[in-house]
Amino acid sequence: MKKRLTLLFILCLIFAAGHAQKFVFSPQWTPQSQFAGYYVAYEKGYYKEAGLDVQIIHPTSSYSTINMLKDNKCNVMTSELIQAMMACDQGLNLTNIMQTTQHSTLVLMSRKKGVKEMADIAGSRVGTWKVGFNEIPHMIDDEQKLGIEWIKQLNAINIYIAGAVDATLAKSYNEQILFSMSGVTPGSVLKFSELGFDFPEDGLYVKEEFYERYPEQCRQFAEASRKGWEWARENRKEALDIVMKYVTAEKVATNLYHQKWMLEEILEVQEDKKGEQPSYVLKRDDFERMNKTLLKYKYISAPVEYDRFIGGKQ
Amino acid sequence: MILKKTRYRNSISKRLTTRVLVVSALIFTLTFTAFLRMAANKVREEVSKHAHSELSSTIHQIDAILKSVEIAVENMAWIVPHELESPDAMYEITMQLLKNNEFIYGSSVAFEPNYFSEKGYYFSPYAYKDKSEGIKYKQLGNESYDYHYMDWYQIPKLLKEAYWTEPYYDDGGGEAMMTTYSKPLYDEEGNMYAVITADISLEWLTGLVGDIHAFNQSYNLMVSRNASFIVHPNRNLILNETIFSSTYGEYDESLKKMQEDMLNCKASEVLREKDGHKFFVFYAPVETNCWSVAIVCPLSELYAGVKRLRGFLIILGVAALVIMIILSYNGIRKVVAPIEDFSSAAMKIADGDFNVSLPEIRTQDELKELHDSFEHLQKSLVKYIDELKTTTANKERIESELRIAHAIQMGMIPKIFPPFPERNDLSLSAKLVPAKEVGGDLYDFFIENEKLYFIIGDVSGKGVPASLVMAVTCRLFRSIASHFDKPEEIIASLNDSLSDGNESNMFCTAFLGIMDLATGKLLYCNAGHNAPLLIGPGKKVKEMKVTPNLPLGLFGGFPYEGESITIEKDSMIYLFTDGVNEAENREKLQYGDDRLASLLESLSSQGPTEIVKATFDDVKEHANGAEQSDDITVMCIKYI
Repeated sequence: MKKRLTLLFILCLIFAAGHAQKFVFSPQWTPQSQFAGYYVAYEKGYYKEAGLDVQIIHPTSSYSTINMLKDNKCNVMTSELIQAMMACDQGLNLTNIMQTTQHSTLVLMSRKKGVKEMADIAGSRVGTWKVGFNEIPHMIDDEQKLGIEWIKQLNAINIYIAGAVDATLAKSYNEQILFSMSGVTPGSVLKFSELGFDFPEDGLYVKEEFYERYPEQCRQFAEASRKGWEWARENRKEALDIVMKYVTAEKVATNLYHQKWMLEEILEVQEDKKGEQPSYVLKRDDFERMNKTLLKYKYISAPVEYDRFIGGKQ
Repeated sequence: MILKKTRYRNSISKRLTTRVLVVSALIFTLTFTAFLRMAANKVREEVSKHAHSELSSTIHQIDAILKSVEIAVENMAWIVPHELESPDAMYEITMQLLKNNEFIYGSSVAFEPNYFSEKGYYFSPYAYKDKSEGIKYKQLGNESYDYHYMDWYQIPKLLKEAYWTEPYYDDGGGEAMMTTYSKPLYDEEGNMYAVITADISLEWLTGLVGDIHAFNQSYNLMVSRNASFIVHPNRNLILNETIFSSTYGEYDESLKKMQEDMLNCKASEVLREKDGHKFFVFYAPVETNCWSVAIVCPLSELYAGVKRLRGFLIILGVAALVIMIILSYNGIRKVVAPIEDFSSAAMKIADGDFNVSLPEIRTQDELKELHDSFEHLQKSLVKYIDELKTTTANKERIESELRIAHAIQMGMIPKIFPPFPERNDLSLSAKLVPAKEVGGDLYDFFIENEKLYFIIGDVSGKGVPASLVMAVTCRLFRSIASHFDKPEEIIASLNDSLSDGNESNMFCTAFLGIMDLATGKLLYCNAGHNAPLLIGPGKKVKEMKVTPNLPLGLFGGFPYEGESITIEKDSMIYLFTDGVNEAENREKLQYGDDRLASLLESLSSQGPTEIVKATFDDVKEHANGAEQSDDITVMCIKYI
């Protein structure tokens, strides 16, 4: 019996050594600089060095990343903190294995000039993403009863240029740059980070049960990803080339300049404080502020537990 | 003297040529610059006109196609409400639309969610042209293609008007760039229930826009409302980049203007600079959907003609200046050459060649005037020199005559001293120096019957007239003196002779004395002359007491009074004319009676010869180089 157990153990070791842990990673959008660090980690072999067999799969407009994770079509995904916490509240327990961005990139671009707060666009028709990212503006609208007509959209620019909306939500690293590249100068740009909603956004998430099964691999994946981001920060031009390789492969309609400025913006919001090296850590304070906000506006039914959310250690 | 033509470093010709060159170069430069600027402006105007005309012709064609699609959609749209009872009839409508317009690649009638309960959330019958199988159809909407959020559905719905979508790559069909025209459809209550669409391929745009050949080096592009390239020589940029993407964060004025114009569907042009190259962008909007067509042309090509013209003008200008320098230098040299000839002629004239030939001047101008003046000068000089020759000859003759007259005059007065060397009771010396060749002073003396007859006189005026009167007086004195015993008789006789026929009113002052050498008694008569001085040993010089009387020659028959004095032994009688005491120095100060008296006092122990010499020396010293203005005569008689 003892011999048999020993043989099994040896076989397990051989199996483990010969077959690296399969990791299917899905960023939450089509290829762009928002995910530069992961592409770099993959291309530079950081995942392989960590003994991880990583596959990167991008979502489609009809099959979101979070659905892929739910369906076990991927093991690790990127998500904004707010969506991850809401998912936890709805029963999909997620574990944050790494926090990449520390600040809000959400802005509101309005045709109207001099917009200083959401109340200034009360009653307007405002474009928003069909897929989400709009919880905070909705909270403000609901609280202040602004009567905003939210128009779900796939493409913020065309609908705005056509004059079909008065304002639109945008990400500072994406649509805001695209607006400028389309020659559109909005009347006002309202930054939610300056309205008291400066929350961390992008992070790496796995299902809680996956984390419990593969804590070391998850840690290694996070560590290799961190290395990828650090390399991208130091080698922006090369990182951009890597991003463009993915962009071209997926036939994303974008351009080098858009991706270049997106990378700059993403790297900036990764810094905890401007000019500092990023910590890549989800801080308890930020988390609890988010908890409080979500509870206040009833976006979650009960507070999400920080220690559990980060897998008990980070 | 050899006249040599001097080559001046800064000659008139060079100066004038330089001035002409500078002024001409300035005028050329200003004229050419103004001309080139005007030419450049004109070129720009023409280029702009040409570019916009090309743009407008192309845009007209684009508009015509887009409008034909709009009309085709309109023509089918009215059928839709009539066929709502049978939803599948929509397939027929869309297929018919494809048949009606060759540009339409696909068409759908897309309905609001759950419009037909039996068709569910998505119902969008869609007909499309399949490359191999002809017109085919399918239902478009499903979970992965929620058309309700597509621009072609959502935007016309929100705008409540027909809408041309931004161009997109068609994933499903022919990998072609497409745009969709969507028209919202409303029920009787005014609620939108569907949109009818027409998809058209935009491949023909590439050909149409690419075919504009406005300029040799220009290229054309087309951008949609969101500034994405629809047509561009670099196909990689199409639908990936916008005209503003590469300049993100670096807006300049020309980009800003272009951006505003394109968003506001305006035609215009801007001058852009990129990587050190300047180029014009002419752009104009398509009326139907506000996309912009643009012609980009390097400035170097547009202004190549102007540049060539500039090069040509520079060469022309330089050549013209060179020719102008040569011509004007030669021209000026030609004008100035006679001046040099005049100069050398003047030098020859100055050297005495009055008949030197002058340069020939055929023009009637300032040079002619100079020529005439020179000719006049030449003639005047010849005449003057002739006159001068005559005058000089006359003068020489007169001078020679005067020299003779001087010799004659000097021959009339005693000049051998001592005159009476055999006598030891008398010593006498005299000297006359006329101011000119001949003068009017006189002296004379002789001894007869142991009596010394002597006279000193001064004729009024100077020169020849005075010398004639002097000669007459001298001759009369010699001839008549010995016939009278009394000086006043001799004087009266002289006066009468001189007065007779004296029309020129010449007169002569005189002092005449007859001294008895045995007794020292002196009888004398003064006719207006200065009183002689008496010099006695150890005594003061004193003036002899004289009655002035009148000078000789004024009034005939005047009763002259005679006087007498006894001269002591070793005393001297010093007679002189006013040329002594009135001799002037350079400062017009006269020699004076006092200076004469003190001189004589200092010489009282000397003899007449020394006294006469000392007087002349002292007067000369006083004059100090001043010209002698009057005849000077001194006579000194010592009675021993």
